[in-house]
Amino acid sequence: MKGNRLADPDLRPYLIFLATFALLAVVDIEFGRFLTRGTAFSTAQLFATLAPVTLGLALTMMVREYDISVAGMFSLAGCVAVATGAENPVLGIVLAALVGAIGGFIQALIMIGLRLSSLGVTLGGLLTFAGIAYVMTENRALNYPNMKVALLMNEPLVSIFSIRSLIAIALFLVAALIMAYTRIGRDVIGMGSDRRAALIAGVKTDRVLIGVFTVSGTLAALAGSMLAYSLATASPSGLSDVLVPATAAAILGGVSLGGGTGKPLGIAFGVLVLCLLRSGLNAVGASPHVQDIATGTVLIIVAIADGPALARRTKEIRQWLRGSRAPAAS
Amino acid sequence: MNDSAAPAPAITGGVPSARGPAAPARRDRRKLVSLIRLAAIVALVAIAFTTPGFTAMPAVLALLTTMSFIGCVAVAMTFVTIGGNIMSLCFGATAAASSLIFIGVLQEEIGLLPAIAASLAFGAAATGLQGFCIGYFRANPIIVSIAALALILGGAQLVTRGSSLYAATGGPQEVLKGRIAGVPIEFIIFVATVLIGHLLLGFTRFGRNLYMIGNSERAAEAAGVRVWRSIAGAYIVAGIFAAVPGIMLGSRYGLANMEYGIGYDYDAIAAVLVGGTAIHGGEGNVLRTFLGIVVIGVVQVIVLLHGFRQEWQYLITGLIVLGVIMLHTVGSDR
Repeated sequence: MKGNRLADPDLRPYLIFLATFALLAVVDIEFGRFLTRGTAFSTAQLFATLAPVTLGLALTMMVREYDISVAGMFSLAGCVAVATGAENPVLGIVLAALVGAIGGFIQALIMIGLRLSSLGVTLGGLLTFAGIAYVMTENRALNYPNMKVALLMNEPLVSIFSIRSLIAIALFLVAALIMAYTRIGRDVIGMGSDRRAALIAGVKTDRVLIGVFTVSGTLAALAGSMLAYSLATASPSGLSDVLVPATAAAILGGVSLGGGTGKPLGIAFGVLVLCLLRSGLNAVGASPHVQDIATGTVLIIVAIADGPALARRTKEIRQWLRGSRAPAAS
Repeated sequence: MNDSAAPAPAITGGVPSARGPAAPARRDRRKLVSLIRLAAIVALVAIAFTTPGFTAMPAVLALLTTMSFIGCVAVAMTFVTIGGNIMSLCFGATAAASSLIFIGVLQEEIGLLPAIAASLAFGAAATGLQGFCIGYFRANPIIVSIAALALILGGAQLVTRGSSLYAATGGPQEVLKGRIAGVPIEFIIFVATVLIGHLLLGFTRFGRNLYMIGNSERAAEAAGVRVWRSIAGAYIVAGIFAAVPGIMLGSRYGLANMEYGIGYDYDAIAAVLVGGTAIHGGEGNVLRTFLGIVVIGVVQVIVLLHGFRQEWQYLITGLIVLGVIMLHTVGSDR
């Protein structure tokens, strides 16, 4: 029964979020280390980095594709922003976002032109983007000299937020409005549920695909460049491990790799679960492996609950249990 | 990026002609693609042998050793891909964790064979459990592999507290460091892995079933194949292969930590695809993966020997993967 509720993609993110929150609060009930402004602020900062990437990746998953290249774009954009944005930080971010948009756009064109699945193309894209970042930086970490911008990025605003996290939240609001109130939202979900039916119903699937991958590249680039600014450094290798947490957050947020499910608000809560786990466990003094183990356990439960054969298998197991009990009784 | 986008429109223009009853055109195109592939390989060999220093022993030996680590993971990945489960993101971590087990058992001083057996058993169990979830419940393979990655990383942290394990110098693991007839033992083990993998896929019923499942799970089920057992079997085999580089890394460097194997998964799937195994499963074989590894390795050495810095390796590898993937589908009739 619990499995079924976990499998309901609309409820899943909120249930897991509440469970995580309650668990951390109970563990910390005597100490007061968890429910503090510091924890809230660091949660929001983690959210600012992970959330835009997850949103873009989740959009590609909603149309039943998978953009592996976000990891490469994330680090490439950081390098582009740091290399070009020392004088004018806005220019750096715009250039990085442009690189992201062009990268996603070209990958989508290749997919459509050659009727290729996104997995192969974006794997090539991942390695190529990372390669460009390596060549561009000559395999070194780039320092961002503009410390004013770096400090500004992390300065608390409105108590627990910063510019970065407010931008991330704004992105989610825009995405939520578009998905809920425009045709684009319906087209994306329709295309992920059944691409052929969507095509017959008049959805311009090629355009949706191009749009989704362009957005995914842009959002990964935005997240990467903002993180690079706030750390005042960018390296081609250091930032690349973002695909795994972003996928995990999307799955916890109710998106499925089978396409057709997911809402921006749910995705935001999926990201929050991961961020809350990291900052909360840090605050209560748990060692970092607890977070990995907790994430892995929840993910595997969700994966099995999402498995199309679950209902059949539980029936089989029940029958087998009954069958093996019957001879013992007779 | 712009280089790779340029041919796209031209090829798009060619696609509609294949939609009608234009089978001969498709055959021509396949011939063309085979020709391009052949030409590329001939060109690669020519460039390799005219590159000064390529045939010198140090370059070749270094190439053989590095190829072997990623190669074993790529063989493991081939089993996952052919069975229709795309890729796994946790083989690199499996290799690293098995190196921890290898060194950990060596520290007990009960000999080399128990250490090898323990790390292979760990690989089989850790990956086999994923195969069970994927085969039995049809859980999504990529998500299961990410969950397993988190569990392996967390578990390893729990045990080692983030530090490395060291083997005593002069311990039994030194046997695996040497060379036989000038060839690094790592490479011999890799070739053995390739041969075993090839025999399993090409000449057993298990292999035939796996190809059938990769082509169409429903058709395989209708034909009476116990699908979940084959998939779990494929993952058990893959886990054993993925543990092999852990043993090799552990004995080469005399220490084990979770830094090993970072990035192996992407390199391995790249080798699988460059070899021409289809990402949607059902076709391809281990020898192709071997070819893919060799091509990537040779290109990387050529790039280095021509005086380009290491970062160009990454970019050129990426462009090759992109190019091969595009070439591959032009030749098939999807």
